[in-house]
Amino acid sequence: MLARDAESLFWSGRYLERAEDTARLLDVTYHGMLETTPDEEALAWNDVLAALRLDGVYAKTGRPLTATAVCEFLVLDTTNAGSILSAVGQARENARTVREQLSTELWETLNSFCLELRARNLRADLEFQPHELYGMVRRQCQTVAGVAAETMSRDEGWRFFVLGWNLERAEMSCRLLSARYRQLSPSAFHQWMGTLRSASGLEAYRRTYRASMDPADVVEFLLLSRTFPRSVLFSLRTAENALARLAPDGELTRPLRQLGRVRAGLEFADVRELMQGDLGEELWVVEEGIRQVAASVATQYFSNSREFDLHSVHLMPGEGGRP
Amino acid sequence: MSSPDGLFTDYRLDGFFDEVFDAEGHCRPHYAPLLARLTGFTPDDLMRRTRLRDAAFRSQGITFTVYDEGEGIERTFPMDLLPRIVPADEWSHIEAGLVQRVSALNSFLDDLYVGEGAAIHDGIIPSWVVKSSDGFCREAFGIPVPLGARCLVAGVDLVRDGEGTYRVLEDNLRNPSGISYVIENRVAMTRVLPSVFADQQVRPVDHYGRSLLNALHRVAPPASSDRPTVVVLTPGVFNSAYFEHVFLASQMGVELVEGRDLVVDDHVVSMRTTQGLQRVDVIYRRIDDDFLDPVPFRTDSTLGVPGLMAAARAGNVTIANAVGNGVADDKAVYAYVPDFIRYYTGEEPILPNVTTYLLWDDDQRNEVLDRLDQLVIKPVAEAGGYGIVIGPAASDEDLATCRRQILEDPRNYIAQEVVALSRHPSLVEDHVEGRHVDLRPFVLSGEDIEVIPGGLTRVAMRRGSLVVNSSQGGGSKDTWVLAGAPGDGDDVAGSDHEAR
Repeated sequence: MLARDAESLFWSGRYLERAEDTARLLDVTYHGMLETTPDEEALAWNDVLAALRLDGVYAKTGRPLTATAVCEFLVLDTTNAGSILSAVGQARENARTVREQLSTELWETLNSFCLELRARNLRADLEFQPHELYGMVRRQCQTVAGVAAETMSRDEGWRFFVLGWNLERAEMSCRLLSARYRQLSPSAFHQWMGTLRSASGLEAYRRTYRASMDPADVVEFLLLSRTFPRSVLFSLRTAENALARLAPDGELTRPLRQLGRVRAGLEFADVRELMQGDLGEELWVVEEGIRQVAASVATQYFSNSREFDLHSVHLMPGEGGRP
Repeated sequence: MSSPDGLFTDYRLDGFFDEVFDAEGHCRPHYAPLLARLTGFTPDDLMRRTRLRDAAFRSQGITFTVYDEGEGIERTFPMDLLPRIVPADEWSHIEAGLVQRVSALNSFLDDLYVGEGAAIHDGIIPSWVVKSSDGFCREAFGIPVPLGARCLVAGVDLVRDGEGTYRVLEDNLRNPSGISYVIENRVAMTRVLPSVFADQQVRPVDHYGRSLLNALHRVAPPASSDRPTVVVLTPGVFNSAYFEHVFLASQMGVELVEGRDLVVDDHVVSMRTTQGLQRVDVIYRRIDDDFLDPVPFRTDSTLGVPGLMAAARAGNVTIANAVGNGVADDKAVYAYVPDFIRYYTGEEPILPNVTTYLLWDDDQRNEVLDRLDQLVIKPVAEAGGYGIVIGPAASDEDLATCRRQILEDPRNYIAQEVVALSRHPSLVEDHVEGRHVDLRPFVLSGEDIEVIPGGLTRVAMRRGSLVVNSSQGGGSKDTWVLAGAPGDGDDVAGSDHEAR
């Protein structure tokens, strides 16, 4: 398939996941904040921005660390390329450039989602019914994923879509843990619940670990679960599977080798050892590894569209400079 | 008026040729089943269905982009729910006329660019008229097109005059658009107003993609494989017709590429894929000549592909429609098309032109200048209705300016008799009114010449307006070609073959 089309599908998947993750994170944080002091609130919103790697960008805007200001920045501010409105718009624009590769149902679902979002009074939604808004974003993203799974051929295009989607998910889950793990003292029961809930993992976690709220269990679940589809390991396995099928004749391509190394590191990790060592450092290594995979994917598959500077065009907030 | 209650009660013909009613106000036979089916619909019902269709088009992204102060706005192309119907015998007349005309145009262009220029040598058209045309392209000399199918897709604009005679207004041999609306309008009609299709045999239009791909395969360079690689070349997502480019690529199941996806090496065109470069044999381009290749054309263009023309000249890739077709879209060259038909086919033209005057000819110019307020004056190279002066509607000032411009550069203008375009009942808010229409059938040249039954009927949605262009508030109608005659005694006003 065209290198440019592959790139658009990859990014369409990434942006959708970004929108969904942001909505989950905001929903949980917002509702967890209703009973806190202003100081705690500012700290929590800063964590959210840090998880999205947008804390630096946000600080430069000079806006306050309040629910209203942060939520507006992350939901409807189109100067923020990582806001939900921007991300959904980008997912749609990328899909529009590969429209002929998509099923009609998939395109219509995504297009309607974007149009609905644009038609809403998001500021009023944030004030009066934030939960409804975040729920809508989450449901629509899941609908797009479902329609894609049900209608797209399992060809190259599908694999690039899945690859982008899952690399973004793995990276976001990593960041979420990075931002939160320090608070996972045994007393911070609600923060854990919130963290798990923002990954839609609370029920699944309980089934596995019952009522335990040992920080190690939460980390193990979100980082190393082999059954929970939003864990870092699970997302990396899904991404690796897609990448392996993209390699011509079973060739061990550079991005595949890099991804395999990151995945294997988690595959054979022991959560107790991680907790005793420097978890923050470990998470950083994984996150950096995922970023390198994305860069190698671009070099391996998209660089045929070489007039385009991939990283300047598609740079997401928080991705830093060139690898 | 003999019509179902409600919809047509106050309908007026105003002295125009009406597609549905004859001069006495009787429904033409081929419309009778439709009108019977419409009994019971109120204008409100129809408006509600129109809104359904608009919403469906919006969510499907069937839109064109209008740029206003730098901001792109996506609009849907309005569709009037009352379909236009062409009976079978009337259609065979149109079809024969179009095949004859496009065949002659292919011959003329092939003769001009890779032949001996026989039409010029034999005095059919003066050499200077051809060479002074904006669309004439020296770079196209010597570039072969298999089967001589230079006008691979033609979107010929037909109008019906006061007598109901079909006349050719423009040939549109470069990048005619609108076929996606023909197909999507039909899909929309079958969804929002399915009942009106009953008792009718409407010929389908959705095989267009297959026919287009067949034609493109036929013009592949002789050396290419049995399954040549075809691509659609688009200027990109910001082009106002982008939806149609996507539509055509997906209907054919081929890649939609932009200039930056293609690369020319050693006179071979390839596209950049995830697995490296893949050779391309046929390019259905929706980019104008000037932007195709920055080497011979506009060096500031980033839409095109450097080296593309040289690759085409080497016979390694076919560009469709062929480069240089614009010469035959020149409105002064258009005046010679009936002579091309006689010269290349030996037949009399089946579809007449609109009567056209050439202004470098002293006699014709003097007559035109005497009757300037009764004629339409058009610049020869403009499309989309730009720069047209309609004599009866123009101010004295406009006419004086027009007169001066003609005298300064008579080659740059033509004059035509005003055509009282036929009208068709159209839904206007809460009632039905007559609106002027034209018809753009799509003609494909490959092994044979094929006409897709119907075409895009464009409607001037403003009262009294003769301008049907979508950029100027025009809408469209689903256009039905019937498979069989609806009954005896139908009045086919356009089939009497009368020329001017």
